[in-house]
Amino acid sequence: MARADRAYALLVLLALGSSAILIALLGSLLPHALDLATRGADGADAIAVLLLLCATLGISLGLASLFRQLLATLALIRSLLRRRVSVSPRVRAAARGLGLDGRIDVVNDPRPFSFCYWFARPRVCVSTGLARRLERSELRAVLLHERYHLRHRDPLRIVIARYFAAGLYVVPLVEDLVEYYALEKEIAADGEAVASSGVGPLARALYKLLPDADTVSLGLLVPVGALSVTEARIDQLVEGRGATPIFHPLSIALSGGALAAAVTLAAGGVVLAPAFLLVAAAISGASQQLRLVARTFPSTG
Amino acid sequence: MSDRDVRRLRRIRGGAEERFLGPLEAEVMDRLWKRGRATVRDILGDVGRTRSLAYTTVMTIMTRLYDKGLLVRDRDGKTYVYRPASTREEHRARLTRDLVRGLVDQFGDVALAHFAAELDTVDVAHRAALRKLAGQGPSGRDSGNPSGRENGAPSGRDRRSRGPR
Repeated sequence: MARADRAYALLVLLALGSSAILIALLGSLLPHALDLATRGADGADAIAVLLLLCATLGISLGLASLFRQLLATLALIRSLLRRRVSVSPRVRAAARGLGLDGRIDVVNDPRPFSFCYWFARPRVCVSTGLARRLERSELRAVLLHERYHLRHRDPLRIVIARYFAAGLYVVPLVEDLVEYYALEKEIAADGEAVASSGVGPLARALYKLLPDADTVSLGLLVPVGALSVTEARIDQLVEGRGATPIFHPLSIALSGGALAAAVTLAAGGVVLAPAFLLVAAAISGASQQLRLVARTFPSTG
Repeated sequence: MSDRDVRRLRRIRGGAEERFLGPLEAEVMDRLWKRGRATVRDILGDVGRTRSLAYTTVMTIMTRLYDKGLLVRDRDGKTYVYRPASTREEHRARLTRDLVRGLVDQFGDVALAHFAAELDTVDVAHRAALRKLAGQGPSGRDSGNPSGRENGAPSGRDRRSRGPR
């Protein structure tokens, strides 16, 4: 199993396990909330309600903002596809033998880009600007890269992963694993292109597209202080060195603490200490959520 | 341009998409960048040479470009004189920025797995390593690639703007 697949499997396992624990906890907190409503205030009940409120608010904020991102992405894809043109002989030649017949959309756009999109049956979208700018072997390398995403249904996987991360914000390790998976899948996709056509074409394609990347910063995508995804990809191409997972000790501690606290709370009713531990993890997670929400309102200029 | 199209365009909101141009809009912008300033009739004269277009069609397009903020206009007697709000290079730089920011910053990477749009910050050392691997000389970025700068920002490095953190 490739590293990207392993990372994804680990992510899903951790997410499902954490979800089960947190759902059990929320289930055990509900009676306290009902008590508060019927019989008046009591310390434990108040904490339970506070926890429930925080959890609900955080989860809904994160999921809503992701949902909005998803809708906006789909609108963007639709608007790009309105300018679909027939697959040029150049693209057809580059894609020969890749098994991508009928799954490539060429859109008329001077800007160079390509991406894999859609969930059930992913497709590859290539702009005329990219096709014009790259030579055939380079275009083929890009298509091989995208074919990896297509075969692994990465668009669907990343949506699921991001929803897990947004819903499980008290377990920051999930977010770390999503970032790691997001990086590994790019490296794995590059690996497929390199295995098939060598390092040269892919390196040239990446290099030719760098000038355009000068004007943008996608700083939000990567953890601060870590290699950018592209830098990690370049390392991999140059040295054949895979990325090492970046799991901050703090997020491991918070995740473990939050889950342990959740288990204690769910099993033995509300106890003050674990509740505070969970609140601490929630506060750390909430900063992640805010970052996510902020992403929906980019600064202009 | 049918009413349906106009309604559809009105429905499209948001920075990145708003600046996407249709073929006719792009042609009108192209003429205006060449002329500097022009009236609807000037543009009709230019564009209408290759195809037949109604005066109102060109007027609708130019009004829309004005609404989008791509053109500015001054009144000269009874007619409007239009000129581009930014240079072609500024416009291109913004488009490129919008596209990638649009794809990733605004929309996140949900639903997409991308090759080019994933190109985020790359420091000098990595850039040099990649250039070596790509087998290009120090100025090889554009070699064999006459349209290489076509879509790039002319002063990309200076324009680099950080997204919200």
